[in-house]
Amino acid sequence: MSAPTRTRHLYLHLPFCAARCGYCAFVVEVGSLARRDDYLAALLGELERERPLLGALDTVYLGGGTPTLMGAERLTVLLERIRPLLAPGAEVSVEANPETVEPALLAVLRGAGVTRLSLGVQSFQPHLLGSLDRAAGPARSREAFALAREAGFASVSVDLLFGVPGQTPDDLEDDIAELLALGPDHVSWYELELKPGSALARREGVALDEEFAADAYERVVASLEGGGYRWYETANFARPGHECRHSLAYWQSRDYVGLGVGAVSTVAGRRWRNAPGLDGYLRAAGAGVEPPRTHERLDPATRRRERWMLSLRLDRPLQLAEVGPPDHPEAIERLRALGLVDEGPAGLVALSRRGRFLQNAVLHELMEYA
Amino acid sequence: MDQRLIRNFCIVAHIDHGKSTLADRILQITGAIHERDMRAQVLDSMDLERERGITIKAQAVRVFYTARDGVTYQLNLIDTPGHVDFSYEVSRSLAAAEGALLVVDASQGIEAQTLANTYLAVEAGLEVVPVVNKIDLAQADPDLHARALAELIGEDPDRVLRISAKTGLGVEDVLEAIVERVPPPRGDREAPPRALIFDSVYDQYRGVVAFVRVMEGVFREGDRLIAMQTGLGVTAEEIGVMGPAMTRTRELAAGETGYLITGLKDLGQLRVGDTLTAAARRAAEPLPGYREVKPMVFCGLFPVDSEDYPDLRDSLERLSLNDASLVWEPEVSQALGFGFRCGFLGLLHMDIVRERLEREYDLELLATTPNVEYRVTTTSGEVLGVRSPAELPNPSRIETIEEPFVRCSILVPRDGVGAVMGLCQDRRGVFVTMEPIEERQQIVYDLPLAEIVLDFYDQLKSRTRGYASLDYDLNGYREGPLVKLDILLAGDPVDALSLILHRDVAYPRAKIIVERLQKVIPRQFFEVAIQAAIGSKIIARETVKAKRKDVLAKCYGGDITRKRKLLERQKEGKKRMKQVGSIEVPQEAFLSVLEIGDGKGSR
Repeated sequence: MSAPTRTRHLYLHLPFCAARCGYCAFVVEVGSLARRDDYLAALLGELERERPLLGALDTVYLGGGTPTLMGAERLTVLLERIRPLLAPGAEVSVEANPETVEPALLAVLRGAGVTRLSLGVQSFQPHLLGSLDRAAGPARSREAFALAREAGFASVSVDLLFGVPGQTPDDLEDDIAELLALGPDHVSWYELELKPGSALARREGVALDEEFAADAYERVVASLEGGGYRWYETANFARPGHECRHSLAYWQSRDYVGLGVGAVSTVAGRRWRNAPGLDGYLRAAGAGVEPPRTHERLDPATRRRERWMLSLRLDRPLQLAEVGPPDHPEAIERLRALGLVDEGPAGLVALSRRGRFLQNAVLHELMEYA
Repeated sequence: MDQRLIRNFCIVAHIDHGKSTLADRILQITGAIHERDMRAQVLDSMDLERERGITIKAQAVRVFYTARDGVTYQLNLIDTPGHVDFSYEVSRSLAAAEGALLVVDASQGIEAQTLANTYLAVEAGLEVVPVVNKIDLAQADPDLHARALAELIGEDPDRVLRISAKTGLGVEDVLEAIVERVPPPRGDREAPPRALIFDSVYDQYRGVVAFVRVMEGVFREGDRLIAMQTGLGVTAEEIGVMGPAMTRTRELAAGETGYLITGLKDLGQLRVGDTLTAAARRAAEPLPGYREVKPMVFCGLFPVDSEDYPDLRDSLERLSLNDASLVWEPEVSQALGFGFRCGFLGLLHMDIVRERLEREYDLELLATTPNVEYRVTTTSGEVLGVRSPAELPNPSRIETIEEPFVRCSILVPRDGVGAVMGLCQDRRGVFVTMEPIEERQQIVYDLPLAEIVLDFYDQLKSRTRGYASLDYDLNGYREGPLVKLDILLAGDPVDALSLILHRDVAYPRAKIIVERLQKVIPRQFFEVAIQAAIGSKIIARETVKAKRKDVLAKCYGGDITRKRKLLERQKEGKKRMKQVGSIEVPQEAFLSVLEIGDGKGSR
């Protein structure tokens, strides 16, 4: 196999959590900490199994769950196993909840080659953290951030949410001020999605005011841009050179391998997803067979529509030669007339600033999802 | 059979007061159907009607009953439709009978339509046999309602029958009363034949089946017949009776009811109320009471998916086979594309047709606001029938506009009188009279039919907590200051949203309509003005603000399929929108003008 066909992006899912947060609809395991050793072994087994797909890795991302709940020792074992696979200058990210951040753990991560730490802060307002079921208060978040800085990671990122039930415009302003004062290298600031299955959706059950959500989003973008961050993706902001290269790989429709329960891989027009249950995953590992998976073959048209869906999220113009033609080319002119797509050379499609706020609606004008 | 042994009768009852149950019980007791064949409500052959508890198509069933006097009688039960939209059909069924069972629920008492049909029966000279049904119910008050019924028709309260069709209690007494009280027919069997067509249905194998009551003479298979109103000549291919299954008798004589098959394929050729006679021995005069049935309510029906247009046409054609009162013609709307302007006898008829099209023919339809037929006299003296707001001539060419009025009779408990009168006043009603009936008041108003066609009935029910009942009859045309209200989206009139209304209510209604549209039309890429205009004058305005944010949240972790599926679901949602110019309009927008509510915009 020639080098370019090998996958350069690896995701590892570490599902353990101390508790399920009210807004969470991810694949997580609560109350299963005793199975961490078995899980680590199974994960390493899957890594061996998929190793032939991997080239020198540009990016590695440890997501969860709460990856830091794995504990320093297991993370060391995992990261040491990955280290030989890394390309020079590789980005290695780990997600962490502020309450799990301790100097010793950070030192271990740094020592094992982790370059980037992503802190799940979500908000600095105690009443909102309460309704999100988050354990760490604002003080703990600030402390965790300071510790991450001291540990010397190349990039420290902070995750925040807007549109939390009960959030006032003042709450948002305060979160913005706190964030800018903290000054991370990278910020992911999502609108909270009330997923039908989550506890929060059951508790609140109400749609948020459209105007407030739009105001909040505009405020977040404007403030972070004003604070020197680039709005490089729909919900992501970075100081120059601190974009998350792993996420960019997804948005640029690169191939990636995902390992662990619920993890998704896309390689050479095939996509597969490991089943979410821990039991099935561990059983397959014990039997030395492939974990239970669902498979999907991506035909060229589907891939093209995915490329449009993902590329429009970024702040760089789409190159038609790269992503393929839109389903409704005539819509481009209409969108230009509406001021949603910027004027520009043929072969390029660049969303205007307003177009980026309406990216999903623009996408439906250009592409046919059926 | 000797005419003295024949009894022809119908049942007059309000929806749910037990007409069909009583009919079934009579069939059972007389052995016309066996217990094991008993399907609830044999006479209501269409599922939809059974669900709504109403019977649209009348049929005649012949049973034999051996009375307590030891003599066997032939009883012909002529079914009647039970809704205000079909009062002409009811009158023809009554004309085919000598007697009527007036059935009233022992817990509810008489309702407006029953009252109207009772008057029709009395006027037609029928012997009315009053029956209080459902006396087995805990909340029944048979004495009260029996007294009221007796008073209504001038009968002795002791002669009011008290029964439970459900349990069978007293049903034999009903049969005895039919034999004793309903006079036998007295048609001259030697006279030139005349038969009244009181109903007709279409059978896919037999063609048109006419249900007839022979008034004079004898009809035999093979006879050459003439329909006297239309002048159509036909041959009697088969003659028989329903027992309730089709039973061939080869002839029908004066006094009998039965069916007649002619091989015709078009239901409209044998019209309800027409008189059949023999070509060889033609009667001098047709039977009285014939009326050409005219649609009263019109609306545009459009397929949601324009590719369904040919299917909609086919479905309307098939429905028309069995429904001569449904009329339709192609209509083109700028907003909705190709569809049909359909005419109905009334609102219920419209609802039934729509539901059948959607349910039985699996079509997704968009119906425009229903309207009545206006009579427009132009400045050049021409008189036009206007069945759609789009047909209204330019105001400068209009001399007068007239609209159909109905005389509306509403029965309501006393504490609901104020609410009903308030509603009628709001809807441009002209008070006629009010009088007590039983414990209730009968309020009579002349109202523009156009007001009934909106949400009048819903409002009546909601303002009286369901206690009011309604009947109406066409009462001529009246001139009024009527105007066409146009609705403009982003400056362009949307033809499918236009309506004709009275100038006095134009402002408040325009306000309600634009407010409602503002709520149902989703935000677009640009700000959309919703305006209501009379001519070039804007009288109400709302704005749908431009969309500010539309992004898919979180898209990482590699689960790209899930996001793609979300887009596919969103696309499904968009398919249910209608593209009107550059604006996406949800289907409910076209219906929302229907509901005026209390006129204060609080709904």
